[in-house]
Amino acid sequence: MRRVRLLITALTLLLASCESYDCTLYNYVGLYGSFYRGGSAVAISDTLTITSGRKGIVLLNQAVGTSSLNLPMSYWNEEDTLVFSIKGNGYQARDSVWIAKSNLVHYESPDCPMTLFHTIQSVGSTNEFIDSISIIRSSVNYETTENLRIYLR
Amino acid sequence: MKRQKTCGYTCADVPTGRRTQLLLLLLCMICLSLHAEEPQKKKEKNPVFYGVAVSADLVGFIMKAADAKYANMEVAARINLLDKFFPVAELGIGDCRREGAETGNTFSTTAPYMRFGLNYNFNKKHNGNRLFGIFRYGFSSFKFDIANESFSDPVYGTTAPLHMDGLKATAQWLEFGIGVETKLWKFIRLGWSARYNMRLALSRPEGGEPYFIPGFGKNDDSGWGGNMNIIFDIGKGSFKSSKEKK
Repeated sequence: MRRVRLLITALTLLLASCESYDCTLYNYVGLYGSFYRGGSAVAISDTLTITSGRKGIVLLNQAVGTSSLNLPMSYWNEEDTLVFSIKGNGYQARDSVWIAKSNLVHYESPDCPMTLFHTIQSVGSTNEFIDSISIIRSSVNYETTENLRIYLR
Repeated sequence: MKRQKTCGYTCADVPTGRRTQLLLLLLCMICLSLHAEEPQKKKEKNPVFYGVAVSADLVGFIMKAADAKYANMEVAARINLLDKFFPVAELGIGDCRREGAETGNTFSTTAPYMRFGLNYNFNKKHNGNRLFGIFRYGFSSFKFDIANESFSDPVYGTTAPLHMDGLKATAQWLEFGIGVETKLWKFIRLGWSARYNMRLALSRPEGGEPYFIPGFGKNDDSGWGGNMNIIFDIGKGSFKSSKEKK
């Protein structure tokens, strides 16, 4: 009986001390978009730079041959303003894109990094080289499928 | 006369004094046979209601005193039926204060929980020791707080304290396990149990996963738990074994 008591006490202490962290491994939250012209997907052969409006934080720097986007969104802003600048041989163009969204804290555990998910409510843009933008999937979370389709002129 | 001819001889053939003697003899035989059966019956049959017991889980109180990440402090009451079936009700308070080592995220809750179920005693001898099969249904409706004092946006560079207080959740689960129990002194017993917990349902706010469920433990589909109970057993069941030893 004494041995049984010792064994059970040891097991109880062991169970109380075990712990594992089950954090999501791929925990990047990004806005995914693709470029289209005339109903088919295209790549922008010119140099494309994307900055966030107010602070001018560079989100994409002088990318060439871009066909899709993967951009971080702000945690707390209700609207993100992005500036798309393209530069080619002897010309450049700039468009502003507004993305209105709601933000939702995503919390898994004290040991896992906290992040924010977003729901895109509306999108608008100027029309220098962008024709229109349509929302394909409004939820911005860990999924990596297309959120926006950007139609070029 | 014809009506009385049912056996080898008729009742009318037996004289009245003899009839009374036979009746008395028959009554005596019945009485003797009843007396002979009584002690056997007492030995074989246990009373249906064998006693009641109240208990407290020492592990939870020790964990709380040791400032562990979480603790389930609980008391329980049970009825002893036939020294075999023990319907149990457990009531407790789950407490958790947890801060992520590297993230700065904190989780806290203090909320009640309850469990109902049955212990089945496999030990057929009434020697003071019991070996239990354990089944429980558990339930908790609780609120929890999540916070991070310096929550920062890595790309846009904003840092702000984040507080989400009073998030509501409810959980239901089942527990299966085994337990042993032994007599320490008169009506005081000590018991241990190991249980496998299986979460049935969890309703929670969107985006806020509770780290801890009061009464269940760390939030997961399943888990293990253990108790060490000090039990105060009142009733026939607690005293019978000591009488039997004498």
